[in-house]
Amino acid sequence: MLTKRLVKFAIPFAVGALALTACSDDGDGGGGDGSTFKIAYQGPLSGDNVQLGVNMVNGVKLAIQEANESGDYDVEFELVEADDGGEPGKATAAAQSAIDAGVIAVVGPAFSGAAEVAAPNYAEAGIAALTPSATRPDLTEKGFATFLRGVPNDAEQGKAISDFFVSEGVTKAVVIDDTGDYAAGLADVAQSHLEEAGVEVVRESVPDDTVDHSGIARTVTESGAEAVAYTGYYAQAGPLAVKLKEAGYEGLALGGDGVKDPQFLSLAGDAAEGWYFSCPCRDLSTDEKGQDFIDRYTAEFDAEPGTYSPEAYDATQMIIEAVAELGDGADAKSVYEALAAGTHEGVAKTLSFTETGEYNGSGIYLYQATGGAITALGNVTDVVGG
Amino acid sequence: MTINDIWDVFVLGMVLGSLYAVIAIGYTLVYGVLQLLNFAHSEVFMAGGFGGLIVLTLVEPVAAPSGVQSVGYVLLGMAGGAALGGTVAYFLEKVAYRPLRRRRAPRLVFLITAIGASFFLYNLAGKIFGRNAVPMPSAYENKRVLTVFGTSLNITQLLILGSAVVMLLGVDYVVNRTKLGSGIRAVAQDPEVASLMGVDIDKVVSRTFVLGGLMGGVAGFLFGTNVQVFPTMGFLPGVTAFAAAVLGGIGNVRGAMLGGLLLGVVEAFTVDLVGDEWRYVGAFAVLVLVLMFRPTGILGERVARAA
Repeated sequence: MLTKRLVKFAIPFAVGALALTACSDDGDGGGGDGSTFKIAYQGPLSGDNVQLGVNMVNGVKLAIQEANESGDYDVEFELVEADDGGEPGKATAAAQSAIDAGVIAVVGPAFSGAAEVAAPNYAEAGIAALTPSATRPDLTEKGFATFLRGVPNDAEQGKAISDFFVSEGVTKAVVIDDTGDYAAGLADVAQSHLEEAGVEVVRESVPDDTVDHSGIARTVTESGAEAVAYTGYYAQAGPLAVKLKEAGYEGLALGGDGVKDPQFLSLAGDAAEGWYFSCPCRDLSTDEKGQDFIDRYTAEFDAEPGTYSPEAYDATQMIIEAVAELGDGADAKSVYEALAAGTHEGVAKTLSFTETGEYNGSGIYLYQATGGAITALGNVTDVVGG
Repeated sequence: MTINDIWDVFVLGMVLGSLYAVIAIGYTLVYGVLQLLNFAHSEVFMAGGFGGLIVLTLVEPVAAPSGVQSVGYVLLGMAGGAALGGTVAYFLEKVAYRPLRRRRAPRLVFLITAIGASFFLYNLAGKIFGRNAVPMPSAYENKRVLTVFGTSLNITQLLILGSAVVMLLGVDYVVNRTKLGSGIRAVAQDPEVASLMGVDIDKVVSRTFVLGGLMGGVAGFLFGTNVQVFPTMGFLPGVTAFAAAVLGGIGNVRGAMLGGLLLGVVEAFTVDLVGDEWRYVGAFAVLVLVLMFRPTGILGERVARAA
């Protein structure tokens, strides 16, 4: 492909240009032959939760492709994939590969555990890490210099889960995490809010490599709880749902944003029916802008956008605009500063950040699996209030 | 914990353990004849899962199958699992291990080859089938059909228990009563003397792999039915089954069965009493304890002695 060849030539050119920014005076004066900037996506592009990574990286790809094809910008953009498998253990290496590739900013890290490990690396390199999905609350409290969160955190989601259960009249609930950072954090918040509201909570931890869920399913049914919340990812939630159904569990079941994925439906089959999902992600099909995004995404990837596809798209677009604004002279530091202070009207929501890099806004949405599809029920506050 | 709870958990443990037992046989048989820790056996198991998945995906089970149809689907799935498991095991021996045996490679080389083969196979599966987990097309409606002492069992659980019993009895019979079995035992006891007595070692070794592969393949299908199918599905059951084989006395077929069931039951009780994150702590604590007092495992080493 022509673009590919162009990019091949552009890389050394861009690297050279970046290295020489200090003494360059931008001699050729622009035109269609501007610099190429690399934007990394760090997240699970392999491993059990690869679907979430694919959702996001496709969002990034779409944003970059549209930017390059639009002709609106003097500069070109290129994607660098940094696969951390969603695992903290691989996060440093993934971050380093992105840093070594000379990226201008990063969309990610996608998962909270990996984000905690990789954020210091990006901070040291002065590269903005704008995560579309890492929702563990304390990530923005650790002073990572360049970390930005483009999504409401789990403190809010945990409360939403609790509010929902309470409004359904639940008196006893089982809260299950997968022992990972994100899941345990969300479960902690949900548990404390539930207990505050006078709901008895049985807390369980099922490691995310568990293959046999018959034990936990028995624990849930024997506990006599009316509701169960699983805060891990769909890869585990699928078989868990199946075993719960087999064990005869008939109460409420809810998964966090890591579960809200069509893959969950395919893994759990009939057992998925009736499951609720909480997610800091808005249903896009309710407005024109969102529907337009769905159409463009579907046309490109032959699949509907998944959880966090629009968030990743928005984050990428925000980076692209910041870079384009700064022009050829953009470097990682100036891009970070532009992002941290900026506001971006995205397809999912308006992105802006507080001083600590926290997403400036709110909104947790409730979904339900009905008839083999995930249906939006609306903002949790509306659902609970109504 | 009431007596009823104990029985409940015990049954869950037996279901889990019977799969471990079937997989453990594959480790133990190969160790018996070659003193080789075939770590790639977990991938033979995984191949079985995909074998069953391929067959059932091609067959496309109808939505609400009748009893006869269900039995047919299950048998087809098992056949698919056994076929792919056996094939992978056959070629694994032929491609990865036989050249090493020819050159009398040191034990360590076999071990590294086994680990390498394991990595190769699950990554290959990931490339071919994708890395997402896939549920097995359901061959039957998984109802609770039988209640034993207050614990009701669903079809999947009965299927796993039933097929494990059949396979374990079958392999016990093959090893102890057939010509292939006496070959396996002879090679296990003393390969040189066995070959002087006219035992074709290559053939025996190859068939041992296939025997373990057939069973591992069926276990893979059963596991896929019970859980789901994915390229790395072999790892944890494989490690646990290997531990089971060591627990029972590696190289000892009946030991592997006993070890598998024991680990399954210990796991189930650990999960129920302490919690899921302690699952392997309980199981492996038992392993360490047993090996402290009986370093050769519960029933002692070697295929030959088990006869």
